[in-house]
Amino acid sequence: MDPSIIGQMAVSGALMGLVYALIAYGFQLTYATSKSINFGQGELVMVSAFFSLTLTNLGLPYWLMVPGGLLFGALMGLVVERAGVRLALEQKGEGWILLTIIIGLFFFSAAENIWGRDDRPFPTPISADPIHVLGVDVTRLELSVAVGVFAIMGLVELFKRRTLLGKAFEAVSADRDAAELMGISATRTVMLSYGLSGSVAALAGILVSPITTVGPTMASALILKAFAVAVVAGLDSGFGVVLIGMFLGALESLASFYLGSGWREAPGLVLLILALALRPTGVFGKATIRKV
Amino acid sequence: MLQVEDLHAGYGTSEVLTGTALTVKQGTLVALIGANGAGKTTTMRAISGGLKPSRGRVVLDGQEVQGLDASRIARLGLAHAPEGRKVFGPLSVEDNLLLGAYGRLPRFFGFRAKAQADLDRVYELFPHLRDRARQAAGTLSGGEQQMLAIGRALMARPKVMLLDEPSMGLAPVIVQEVFRIIRRLKEEGITLLLVEQFAKSALEVADYAYVMERGRIAVEGTPAELSRNERVIAAYLG
Repeated sequence: MDPSIIGQMAVSGALMGLVYALIAYGFQLTYATSKSINFGQGELVMVSAFFSLTLTNLGLPYWLMVPGGLLFGALMGLVVERAGVRLALEQKGEGWILLTIIIGLFFFSAAENIWGRDDRPFPTPISADPIHVLGVDVTRLELSVAVGVFAIMGLVELFKRRTLLGKAFEAVSADRDAAELMGISATRTVMLSYGLSGSVAALAGILVSPITTVGPTMASALILKAFAVAVVAGLDSGFGVVLIGMFLGALESLASFYLGSGWREAPGLVLLILALALRPTGVFGKATIRKV
Repeated sequence: MLQVEDLHAGYGTSEVLTGTALTVKQGTLVALIGANGAGKTTTMRAISGGLKPSRGRVVLDGQEVQGLDASRIARLGLAHAPEGRKVFGPLSVEDNLLLGAYGRLPRFFGFRAKAQADLDRVYELFPHLRDRARQAAGTLSGGEQQMLAIGRALMARPKVMLLDEPSMGLAPVIVQEVFRIIRRLKEEGITLLLVEQFAKSALEVADYAYVMERGRIAVEGTPAELSRNERVIAAYLG
């Protein structure tokens, strides 16, 4: 085992793991305000990636395509909130679980019909040539993942801490009823969180697609890992998902290199099972896993 | 300023309020007293919108507000410092206060500057809070949290303030402090509806009082009148 190869694999994997972290972060955003998450988040990643691909094919430059994709993601997030979550929450029920899964299936079918079943390359101006950083080779494309993930998470955290609307977001997370008494509309705050979560999902799709490809099933593996990360890290620590995401990514990359590519999916599942066995009532457990 | 007529409300199929009516005139302090479970807190919640009344009217400054969302009613000028204080624990003391003024501050930038005068006023009233401005509200003592809850309600510059059990769970010396603050608010001309378990203290500061029993007003009058009412003396002042 050559340590430089281990380092290489770990760094590459960790950068990919940031995509899992970003999707898990999207879960955290809606969980904070509404104690609900979008079980069709993977499909949201996928349709946003396809939409961004269409924007690119229409000739839009990368730097205009990205905000376009984020806007589309936010809109789709709002659709999920309106169609799948709001009524269920008003009735204080768990119907959002099934409804968000169904909306995800709908997105999946729509994508197959609009864009086809094949995986397609996602063109990007960012180079895939390796550059040498601290003893390992990484591509600009992989680095763009890290830049994108940290940029959007940083912006959202800055928004929450520095703006009054962001503080209101935190207030609804802390005590929804008391926030209402301050004049803060909990319904609008939940909408905001689904919009943000949709944008975050869209960015995950835009960042990962040039490395993988775009296809209707692109998100099924991603989403499983994102769930594992969310379960292990808990649903309230942005720092936690980044750490666990990078750890899981590195582990996968090493497993696939040393044990064979068939083992790539194993660490995520093992981590998930371990977390559920050791922390069955984790932050995540209370509202969802027990009731699903 | 605040008028409640024939208010019915409850949880699920059990009706707690069966026709409550009360009036709070501008600049007065009205106390609502009664035994546990009489419906005092439910009345407060039905007024501020946390609970939708099934029947009746709530008129705030000439406008009917029953059935509106709590956030809407708050923006129309009703500040409710709820039972159990309900401060935002993870947020700083100052953020809690700023959120009290949410309805009239800009959402993104410049909100702190615009709220500075109100912050200074609250800090002058509660010097402790200034010392702890950056501290998470959840780490405050019960008494400090109550001051914060009152300060947060003041930040809204409300037309009417509802204070629900501000002395609940506090040490006697802190309870005195709370009542000193309530007197001060009254002197400043703030219109107040106060729910209190300490009926005696409440009647000492109030201009008018209502006694609740089983979901409706049983007796009402000025504190002087109520202090002479044998039923009230026996049940609440004895």
